[in-house]
Amino acid sequence: MPNRWDLFCRVIDNYGDIGVSWRLARQLVVEHGLDVRLWLDDVVAFCRIYPAADPNLCVQHHCGVAIHCWSEDCSGVEAADVVIEAFGCELPTQYIAAMTARERPPLWLNLEYLSAEAWVEGCHGLPSLQANSLAKYFFFPGFTSKTGGLLRESSLIQRRKDFQSCEEHKARFLQDLGVQWSTASQLISLFSYENAGLSTWLASLANAERSSHLLVPEGRILADLANYLGVARIHLGRPYRHGALSIQVLPFLSQDNYDRLLWACDFNIVRGEDSFVRAQWAGRPFLWHIYPQEGAHLIKLDAFLQRYCEGLSPDLRVALKACWLAWNQGQNCPASCFSLIGAAPVLAGHAERWCGRQMALENLADSLVLFQQNWL
Amino acid sequence: MKTAQEMKPNSVMLIEGQPWLVQKAEFTKSGRNSAIVKMKLKNLLSGSSTETVFKSEDKVEPVILDRITVSYSYVSDGVYVFMDEDFNQYELSAEDIESVLPYIVDGMTDECEAVFFEGKVISVDLPTTIVRQIVYTEGSARGDTSGKVMKSAQLSNGTVVKVADFCEIDDWIEIDTRNGEYKCRAKAPV
Repeated sequence: MPNRWDLFCRVIDNYGDIGVSWRLARQLVVEHGLDVRLWLDDVVAFCRIYPAADPNLCVQHHCGVAIHCWSEDCSGVEAADVVIEAFGCELPTQYIAAMTARERPPLWLNLEYLSAEAWVEGCHGLPSLQANSLAKYFFFPGFTSKTGGLLRESSLIQRRKDFQSCEEHKARFLQDLGVQWSTASQLISLFSYENAGLSTWLASLANAERSSHLLVPEGRILADLANYLGVARIHLGRPYRHGALSIQVLPFLSQDNYDRLLWACDFNIVRGEDSFVRAQWAGRPFLWHIYPQEGAHLIKLDAFLQRYCEGLSPDLRVALKACWLAWNQGQNCPASCFSLIGAAPVLAGHAERWCGRQMALENLADSLVLFQQNWL
Repeated sequence: MKTAQEMKPNSVMLIEGQPWLVQKAEFTKSGRNSAIVKMKLKNLLSGSSTETVFKSEDKVEPVILDRITVSYSYVSDGVYVFMDEDFNQYELSAEDIESVLPYIVDGMTDECEAVFFEGKVISVDLPTTIVRQIVYTEGSARGDTSGKVMKSAQLSNGTVVKVADFCEIDDWIEIDTRNGEYKCRAKAPV
């Protein structure tokens, strides 16, 4: 009988929490043959990233994962062998009681958000003593071998390389999305939170020598984009042109299609956690719009930059940091941005090497399975 | 009940009937991650130590401990001896007093508190603010007088603390024992 895992996820305000949880659940089923239930408090949000799902069903099965609506009433639910509370969401009291009622208590994991900060290594895998005999542990994704690693399906990088090595794949994918672009233009994807400085960044692209085509999946940046374009409403799919810059808004993409978009673009602007990780696997230069939170996010941003910039020249390091910081603080496009444009091939090579370094580490799903095996 | 973040070094909590002494507690809050407290705990019955992590809002059951005022006497073979006003001596290992060890210096006159669990001394608390003398520090690098520029300084027991750039050798300084931070320059204790 396969090992049974329960994964609990509360959707906070975007699609990152659910995106990570869904990817993890799928990978545990497909690559480890586990029996996985994914408990969601917002199935409607799930339908956005996985359109085949039905928002009206309380239980449904997709890709081998049993999707359950999470209600506080968990009476009669039998606890699984491994229980993951994603991102510190509190488990229902009745479910915790079901965990304690098991003959052999389950392994209880608190899967935390991703951070490159050094303290993560010291807390990853540590127990959290409980007053109810349950074995609870903190599990941290991360960028070093002393953490749980990043989510990555075993076939991901090969699929990405196959896609990127064939211009036809790229052309067909973009055509299917209705993208009309000139092959001389650099392709940039933009999926970020609101940004008060956006107009100056877009103006820089509009005034640049090389033409750019900006692809913007539907999201929170649209109001700032409309402001730049001087329109009340942006029409999906319609190209807007400003100087050397053309802009197209795309419908909200499924996870798989968003991956392809990242692979197809020369530069990606991403946000939160899920798209941030996927941009790294795309092996292309990117800019991370971190989830803003009372200043603490800038420390987290800097910790990632410290690791990511290793191997870059001091000048590029300074320029990259200045750009990321300016974007994340809603500031105008800094002059250093232009030195990055000139160094595009160097940054592309760096992004690929970074991807290779992260690939050498255990991926998150494998780390979790290994952790359970060691615990047993 | 208290929250995990309220449990400071030298407090004791009961978990499944076992008394655990908090030897070290580090609070961390980063971005969207849960605010957590990483603790080094010592089981007061078995003597075993463990590292653990709590969400800062996790509820824990504190144990009310007995305390008496003591002063530091001496250290011999790794045993730290404290004495109360009746000249009773209390012996503790370096591990027992890990959280205050960086501030133990010969001749210190601070009023300390010996902490007892079921009649046995388990640790010692220092006052929140103590005064110590700098035995070595580099000269002022930038002539800063604001107190915002910091540099390293060594105390007589080898402990290194960050102090204001204008501090000099033989200066006395106030230190906050909760976080090890320099507070200000001070007068020599009488």
